[in-house]
This record gives sequence, C-alpha cells and structure tokens, in this order.
Amino acid sequence: MTEAVVVNLFLTVRVLLVGGILIALPSITRKGLLFGAYIGETLADRNAARQLRDSWYIGCVILMVLSLLVGYGISLSGRPLAGNLTGTGVLLSGGLLLYLRWYSKARKLVPPAAADQAKRSAAPLVGGESQGAGLAKFALGFCLLASFATYAYAVGSYQDMLASVPVYARTSFYKIILLPSVNLALSPFYALLALLTANAKRSLRGGSGGGSFEAQDAFRTTVAKLVGWMALLICAFMSYLSVRIIRVGPSEVRTLGLEILLMAVLVIVFIGFNLFRIMKQYGQGGALIETGSAEAPLTNGIADNTRWIGGLFYVDREDPSIMVESRFGFGYTLNYGNPTAILIVVSFIVLSLALIAVAVIGTRLGGG
Amino acid sequence: MLILTIDRALEDPVYRQVADQLRRLVASGELVPGTALPSVRQLARDLGVNLNTIARAYRLLESEGFLVIRDRAGVTVAAPAEEIEHSARAKLLDELTATLARLRQAGMTTDDLMTIVQIEVLAIDGGGKENEDD
Repeated sequence: MTEAVVVNLFLTVRVLLVGGILIALPSITRKGLLFGAYIGETLADRNAARQLRDSWYIGCVILMVLSLLVGYGISLSGRPLAGNLTGTGVLLSGGLLLYLRWYSKARKLVPPAAADQAKRSAAPLVGGESQGAGLAKFALGFCLLASFATYAYAVGSYQDMLASVPVYARTSFYKIILLPSVNLALSPFYALLALLTANAKRSLRGGSGGGSFEAQDAFRTTVAKLVGWMALLICAFMSYLSVRIIRVGPSEVRTLGLEILLMAVLVIVFIGFNLFRIMKQYGQGGALIETGSAEAPLTNGIADNTRWIGGLFYVDREDPSIMVESRFGFGYTLNYGNPTAILIVVSFIVLSLALIAVAVIGTRLGGG
Repeated sequence: MLILTIDRALEDPVYRQVADQLRRLVASGELVPGTALPSVRQLARDLGVNLNTIARAYRLLESEGFLVIRDRAGVTVAAPAEEIEHSARAKLLDELTATLARLRQAGMTTDDLMTIVQIEVLAIDGGGKENEDD
C-alpha cells in the first residue's frame, strides 16, 4: 500500500511538472514562432494563432488527466510500478503526438513571405570570448579530471579486493564500476554542452536588433552557466557517491539511502529551480526581455522553415553552428547538418555503451 | 550596438555584402581603429554562412587596409594610413574613374555626379545624408 502511494505520488508530480511545462511553452516562445513553425510576428497575434494556442492548453489538460487515469488505474489493479511507467509513457508519447499535430496545423498558417525572411541574417559586431565560456571550460576540466580519477580509484579498489577477498570481488565489480562509468560518460558531456551553448548561434531580429542582441546574449550566458553548474554538481555528486559505495561495501550500501536521497534532491531542486527561474525571467531565447524589438522579424536559421524537421530538429550543412536556439521548447538544440554535432552525439553513445560493456565483461571475468 | 545584416536573396554574394557593410562602417567612423571584430568562426556562426565566406570578406578588407588580422589578437579595425601610397592612390583613382564613367554612361549628368560624390564624402566625414534633399 505504502509503495503504491509513493509511486502514484511520483507519477502525479511528474505529470504536473511535464504537463505544466507543456502548457507554459507557447507563452515563452519567441514572437513569430508558433509550435515550431515560423509564421511571422504579425500573424502570431491574430485570431488563428490564438485559437491554436487555446486548443493546445485544452489538449495538454486532457493529456495530463488521461496519463493520471491510466497510471492510477493500473496501479489500483495491484501493479503500481507498471502504472507509473505506463502513465509516464502515455504522457510523453501523447505529448509528442500532440505537439506534432499542432505543428502541422501551425505550418498551414505560414505565409509565403516567410520564405523571403528566412534568407536574411543578422549578427552583432562584438568581438571577444562568449560569456559563460569560462565556467564551461572550468567545468569540462574539472569533470574530466574528477570522473577519470574516480574511475581509476574504482578499478584500483577492485584490484585490491581481488587480492584480499575473492568472494566479495566476484560479486561486486559491476556495482563498483557502474557509477564511475556513468559519471565518466555524463558529466564531461554536460560540461561540453555548456561550452557549446556558450558559443551557440544568436538568432537576432532584423532592424536595429539592439534589444534582440542583449536578450539573446543574456539568455545564452545564463543557460550556459546553468548547464555548467549542472555538470559540476552531477560530477561532484556521482564522484562522492562512487567513492562512498566502494568504501562502504555492498553489504552496507543500504545505509547510504538517506544520504543519496538528500543529495539527489538538492541537485534536482537546484537545477529545477533555476530552470524555472530562467524560463520565467527570460523566456525562450530571451523572448520576454527583447521588448524593444519584438516586432522586428526573426532572422537567421530560426526563421527558415525549410531547415527544421518537425520544428524540432535543425539541419543546415552550410551553417557552421553546432548549437542553435530551439524553436519550441527550452534552451538549445544541435545542428544535425554539422558533422561535429553528429560526432559529439555518436561519441557520447559509443562511450556510454563501451563503459557499460567494460562493466559487464569485467563482472563476467571476475566471476570466471 | 552595430549589427551586420545579409540577404541571400540579393544578387550580391554574401562575402561582398559583409565587406561592403564593414567598409562603410569603418569609413564613417562607426567602427573606430582598434575595435575588435568577431572572429571568423563567431561571425560565420551567427550569420549561418560558411567559414570561408567570412574569411574571404576579412581577407579582402585586410588587403584594402581596413582590417588587421592577427592569429592571437584576432581581427581589429585598422587605423587609416597617414599618407597614401602612390601606387595605391593611382589604383583607387582608376577604380573611381571607371565607376564614374559607368554612372555617366547609365545616364547621370555631370551635376548629378558631382552631387553624389559630395554627399558620399560628407557621409564618410560624418556629415550624413542630410544634404540629399538640397
């Protein structure tokens, strides 16, 4: 009973959080964009766009209710975990389908003039290193050093255990190496994302562009710093946890329960709070603070409907940018037409799989 | 805040649009000598164009004496030469003569040409376009 209550509570929080974000997204999107399509600043204020936004809110509420009903229903039948997973699955897949449907409706509102607008680009004549890059570089160095050191410590500890307690060693290699492996793959990747974000393309508005530039720069800097801090916190948390688990030993891992939970909650609260703070203060791409120039049309790749697949994936082989501003959502996304971006994604996947393979093979060899 | 804009729909190639705008900004004094410009990579990223396009524009302006490109220091606006070099002067005067000849051939009168030259020189010296309506 207690397990069901906790699991359902997690499901409810998750549905409210994700659903809340989906509902909030249209209000923080840059003017001129509607559900991943560029329709122009004038049309974005007209009735058709307003009606689409209103129906989106209703759709999101229906989706949230459906997710909860499915999740609770399965949970009440005696399978709370299945209910949690199914409810979450309904929420995520339903959210994606909802978005794609609204994207196709928004595409029908795109005026012919949008194609001309897409051919225009604007850039500020400001030299110097991007703000936020300093913290990102520090985070990358720290995360690489700390995660490698933790991984080496884990391998070294396992070697010591092999020498001293063979039975213990045969059953614990996977447990010892798992967290350091995840840390090695994840935290430098986040730090790299922070650095790429600090150097992401700035999608300005036409005309004087002054207010648009300051808004873009402030947003980019803030997001880059947040992702940098995320990398540092995740690295510190996982490194500490890895060392503690190794030293405590598998038979006493349960004593770490509260410690892990508290630290995890702190990291999640820090990230979540700042995420919402940035969304509320800046909007997506600085949409809420570019008040001086919000009527001027968007330029650069963000205004080019032909470069966006489903309004979510940016593909432009000519554009040297690796990270570009997201059209619908929050933050930045990769330019999938850039080979470097593809390399980063593939490297991350390959590294993660390789580390998992090492853990599994090491376990088998240790047990052999 | 100075902004560079390009329009891929125009016949002018992008590198020339970039070079023309930078040239005007330097000549009018809006970009003062010593001002650091974005790196090739940064400007190419923001405009969404190939790196070589911006590199070409920068190299063109460097050869004309508008920019200084150094590996570590990056790209900065050059100071005007104290004295014009004889061969450079001759080359530029040839280009001016050719342009004026084309304008004349396109139907502009001598008075129109004189007015335009005066306006452009005043604009470069910070007089702006206020005399255009006179």
